[in-house]
Amino acid sequence: MLPSFIVIGILIVASQYVFLKGSFYKDLGLGRIGDTAVLDNYIRFFTDPFYLRTLWITIKTSALAAFFTLLLGFPVAYLIARMRSRWSMLLLAGIVVATFVTIVIKVFGLIIIFAADGWVNKMLLGLHIVDRPYTIIGNQVGVVVGLMHFTLGFGVLLLYSVIQTIPRSLEEAAQIHGASRFRMHLRVLLPLSLPGITVGSLMIFNMCMGAFTSAALLGGGRVFTLPVLIQRTVMMEVKYSMAGTLSAILLITVLLINLLSVFLLRRFRTARLVVT
Amino acid sequence: MSYSPTNATDLVQRRNSPPPRMGFPWGRLFHYVYCSLSYIFLLAPMVVVVGASLHGGEFYTAIRFPPVEPSLRWYGEIPSSQFEALGLSFLLAGGAALGACVIGIPAALGIVRARLPGRTFISSVFRAPLQIPSIVTGIAFLQLYYLFGDATGLYFQGTFLGLYLGHLFVATPYVIGTVTAILQRFDSRLEEAALSLGASRWSTFRRVTLPVIMPGVYAGALYAFMVSFGDVPISIFLTAPGFVTYPVELFYGMENDFNPSILASASLVIFFCLLVLLGMQKLVGLDNLLRSGSR
Amino acid sequence: MTIKRRKAATQGALIAIGLGVAASASAGEFDGVTLTIATWGGTWKSNIEEVIVPKFEAMGGKVEFVTGSPQANLAKLIAARGRAPFDVMEVLDAQEKDFFTTGDFIQNVDLSKIPNAEGLDDWQRNESRVASWNTQETICYDKGKFAELGLEPPTTYTDLINEKLAGRISIPDITSGGGLANFGAFAYAAGGDETNVQPALDLINKLDALKFWSRGGEVITQFQSGDVYAAIVHAGWCTRAKNAGANVTTAHPKINDEHTGVNKYGWLVIMKSSENTDAANWYINEYLDPEFQLRLATKAGVVPVNKEAIARLEEDPVLAEMLVLDPAKLDTQLRIDYSKADIASWNDQWNRAVTK
Repeated sequence: MLPSFIVIGILIVASQYVFLKGSFYKDLGLGRIGDTAVLDNYIRFFTDPFYLRTLWITIKTSALAAFFTLLLGFPVAYLIARMRSRWSMLLLAGIVVATFVTIVIKVFGLIIIFAADGWVNKMLLGLHIVDRPYTIIGNQVGVVVGLMHFTLGFGVLLLYSVIQTIPRSLEEAAQIHGASRFRMHLRVLLPLSLPGITVGSLMIFNMCMGAFTSAALLGGGRVFTLPVLIQRTVMMEVKYSMAGTLSAILLITVLLINLLSVFLLRRFRTARLVVT
Repeated sequence: MSYSPTNATDLVQRRNSPPPRMGFPWGRLFHYVYCSLSYIFLLAPMVVVVGASLHGGEFYTAIRFPPVEPSLRWYGEIPSSQFEALGLSFLLAGGAALGACVIGIPAALGIVRARLPGRTFISSVFRAPLQIPSIVTGIAFLQLYYLFGDATGLYFQGTFLGLYLGHLFVATPYVIGTVTAILQRFDSRLEEAALSLGASRWSTFRRVTLPVIMPGVYAGALYAFMVSFGDVPISIFLTAPGFVTYPVELFYGMENDFNPSILASASLVIFFCLLVLLGMQKLVGLDNLLRSGSR
Repeated sequence: MTIKRRKAATQGALIAIGLGVAASASAGEFDGVTLTIATWGGTWKSNIEEVIVPKFEAMGGKVEFVTGSPQANLAKLIAARGRAPFDVMEVLDAQEKDFFTTGDFIQNVDLSKIPNAEGLDDWQRNESRVASWNTQETICYDKGKFAELGLEPPTTYTDLINEKLAGRISIPDITSGGGLANFGAFAYAAGGDETNVQPALDLINKLDALKFWSRGGEVITQFQSGDVYAAIVHAGWCTRAKNAGANVTTAHPKINDEHTGVNKYGWLVIMKSSENTDAANWYINEYLDPEFQLRLATKAGVVPVNKEAIARLEEDPVLAEMLVLDPAKLDTQLRIDYSKADIASWNDQWNRAVTK
């Protein structure tokens, strides 16, 4: 473990050092930075509602995407994991292949599908669910959909390997003893897969927090998540310091959320142990 | 070995006691419909991409679906630079997956097994590359390389090693994540038992631990491969002229213009992956590989 | 067209071989020289690869590309701390301050080695730069939809403020190639200027855009899918949308009493760290060659800087419809003065105004 820790540690420290150190300096334009360390960038972030709102949108869209990825992905992962025919291979292959196609390409497909006279809108209009064509481009719904396309494949594979570790015999035992399918899922499957689900959803959440391609392409330039803002700050404004500040805040936020969930999970498990 | 679902007792039990059937299986039907919807959501954009790549009409700079006059003409128009980029991407992703395993497996063992203070902190550090936005990673590495080059005269930017380190950096946490997830559910007493029976540390690892974590290793390696293969923001900064990964080639290929040959080559990647997966299935059985790995 | 392109490549190669033999006495002028060009990818790069590269190779050299938008390439340049990973770069007018006022990235061009620059206007060339092409930023609109909705063809941006067009308009994102030029134009049209862009933001919010595009290809797809009825794009994208089968044409917006239409232009510069200055000047000269300028115009829809090439565009009926080619009218097109603009502040104000 030690060598691994050293390799990753060096890569993190070295690469982030250059960047984060800059977050304490003032931008002087064209990538040049001031020579005295100040907290200006951080103060600016926490006193400016625009940046705070960006942080909130990032957390919200990432959490929603992670939640819906779990919601769509878990039943699929379960189906594949428990399938006894060769079809499972085909279903798995579908997931893997879908993940191999970059969102840069998929976004063209999404535009066609969600077009004003595309399939989805024809269906929604036909069923009188909406009265004028609904678009997912340029709003937060689109960003969540884009993020899900980025993470769903990973999510399914991740959950698949979690469900693999739960012996099928336990579920069957529960059903033989008269538990309904639903109760079996709730009382046997869910608790057993909870640690795996937590790790998996955190990974998905983290992926979303760092993703910029989906948000940039489906946000239509109207939805600013922190990664999109960082990309703009670097690419358009060439303000490395402010970008460093934004990434530092993103990094700390994600670390805090991860620590908090691990902590909550522990509390939850301890509580359960006391009850049963 | 109670955690391997394909062990003998499990199989016997499965054969002898089929799940009880009580009336019409509404739950099961609902499950299938639900999964179909998930698949439609996931695959529909790809159907459009593959479909549009078959469009045989005039040059049109925009995606057209369903295709008019289906033909394979755009497949003949794929520029050679895209194939070169594909070669580099496969090499890079394969290397990243391998390297991620070499670093990731011991790291996961350490996180779960070692009774160290601050374990949560260490595991957060290992997961940190996932939380750094990829674009920041790209620029941070580039600046690091320039700084390092100024100090030592060894410049990594635009070299395979430089690009590889960036990809390894983001790929490793996936292996750590999947292996950790399995290890946390695996009874360490089995290892202790093996050790107390006189097995060496290495053979305990090889015979007891490794078979159990293999599905996680395969899954992690697969993610590592996929993450590296699909990356745009890191590679943008670490590639060099004549040395470009496939997604970056597409990203810039589409920036100024749009040519259906991009859809064609994306479709080729889809078919190639299907072919590799089917080949793996024929040779070793992909589902078995990911399922137990304990044979 | 791409089939033609292949043929052209083969011909180019044959010509190159021919040249190689014919010019064997002077061959080797660029022996062992590798010239690296920072420019856009895709068909833009292909044009260069098919016309200029074979000539250079015939002279013994080799050309490599760093692809990306000028903004992205500037970011690479800055990250590299000025040690440019390329010799020649395409620069946008909006990068005026970065390259020509405060930046320290470029060396002078040698106009004596660029005879083709003589066909340029005075403002289009000086010791540090040479103009490469320009675009006419227009309102591209769907004629059929406008007729169907009973709308007159638009002549100003405010004509697009209409309930019937709500959510059917696409505007360039500020990070896209034409983003800054059009943003500046919006500011002028709404009564502001380079130093006061707030009126532009008010105007944009009134327009109720479906999205802010960052890749022209998306706009064309959205014209075809019926999502968009009008888009602010340069005439080249509108031409391509028309070629793709959309029923569109351009309107050059009236900005104010002085200006009608919007003009954006590009520069070619030689990087300070470049050691291949002869090759770099040679490349710029080839870029300004009327044949190559004409090719960029017909393939990418940009307007040549070379007057001879501009005159020949009249022969192409689609381009003649989409572009303004009359020299008198060209002079009334608005060109943003980026030396007055604080781009960072533009970006900041834009981000705050458009976020949803």
